[in-house]
Amino acid sequence: MDLEKFITLRKGLLEFLILGIVSSGRVYAADMMQRLSKTDFATQEGTLYPLLSRMRRDQLLDYEWQESETGPPRKYYKLAATGRKQLAEFREYWKSLTSLIEELGKPCKP
Amino acid sequence: MQTVIHVSLSGHSKTFQLDQEAYNALQAYLERARARLGRDPDYEEVLRDLEQSIGEKLNKSLRADSRVINRREVEVVLAEVGAVNTGNGDAPADPPPPFGRPRRLCRIEEGKWFFGICQGLAAYSGIAVEWVRSLFVIVSVFTGGLPILIYVIMMFVLPVVQTRNEYDASLRTHVGAV
Repeated sequence: MDLEKFITLRKGLLEFLILGIVSSGRVYAADMMQRLSKTDFATQEGTLYPLLSRMRRDQLLDYEWQESETGPPRKYYKLAATGRKQLAEFREYWKSLTSLIEELGKPCKP
Repeated sequence: MQTVIHVSLSGHSKTFQLDQEAYNALQAYLERARARLGRDPDYEEVLRDLEQSIGEKLNKSLRADSRVINRREVEVVLAEVGAVNTGNGDAPADPPPPFGRPRRLCRIEEGKWFFGICQGLAAYSGIAVEWVRSLFVIVSVFTGGLPILIYVIMMFVLPVVQTRNEYDASLRTHVGAV
C-alpha cells in the first residue's frame, strides 16, 4: 500500500491512532512507536515528537514526567478530556465510513 | 591527531564524546530540525525530546562508556530518529521573505505633539521620532517653512492609527498572509 494516496491518508490517521494507543493507559513515546512498528503506521521520533507536541497544545493529550531506571526521566502521556471526546467521535465516524464504503459498493436497487 | 568534542544532550547527565565529523552530522541534523519546525511555538521542547532520544540511542550503541563516537554511528542513530516532519508538507515552514505590501504612511496618536505626523514618519522610516522632529525644524528654518505646509496637507490626507504597536502589527498581518 505504498500508493501516494494511501500515504496521505495514513498521515491524517496517525493522530487518531495515537489517541487510541494513549487511551490504553499511560504510555511514553517509545511505547507508541513499538505499538506501531509492525503496522503500516510505523513512525519515527522525527515525526512523532512534533505531532505529540501539537496534540498537547490542542489539549488532546497531557503528560507527566516519570523517572526511569535506565536513563533520563520520561514523559508519560495520557488522554485529556478533549482527546477522549475526539477519539470517541473518530471511532463513530470511522464506523459510519466503513458502512458507507460497503454500501456504495453494492449494486443499486431499482 | 583527532579532535574530540564533548557534547551534552538534553536529559543526559553524562557528556558524549564525538569526533569532528560525528559532531558536524549531529549539528546539521539539529539545525535542519530547527528549520523544519519553523514557527512551532514548542520547537525548543521538541528539540529537547529529539536530543534525549538521540542520546538514548547513542548510549545503546556504546559499549564502553568512554569511547569516541564516529560519524557512522551518529548517522545510524539519526536515520533511526528520522528527519523532522511536521505534517505540514516537507517544505520549510519559514515563509520566503515577503514582498509585503508597501508601507503606508499614517498619523500616530500615541506620543504625538501636534497631529502625530512626525510619529507616523518615524514609524514609516524606522528613524527615531526625535530625529524626525529635529530634521523637521531644521529644514523648516532653511526653507522658510515648506515642511509646515506639507505638515498641514498631511494632517488632512493621512489615516490615523492609535498606537505604534498597532501600526507595526498591521504591517505584519498583511505581510504574514503569504
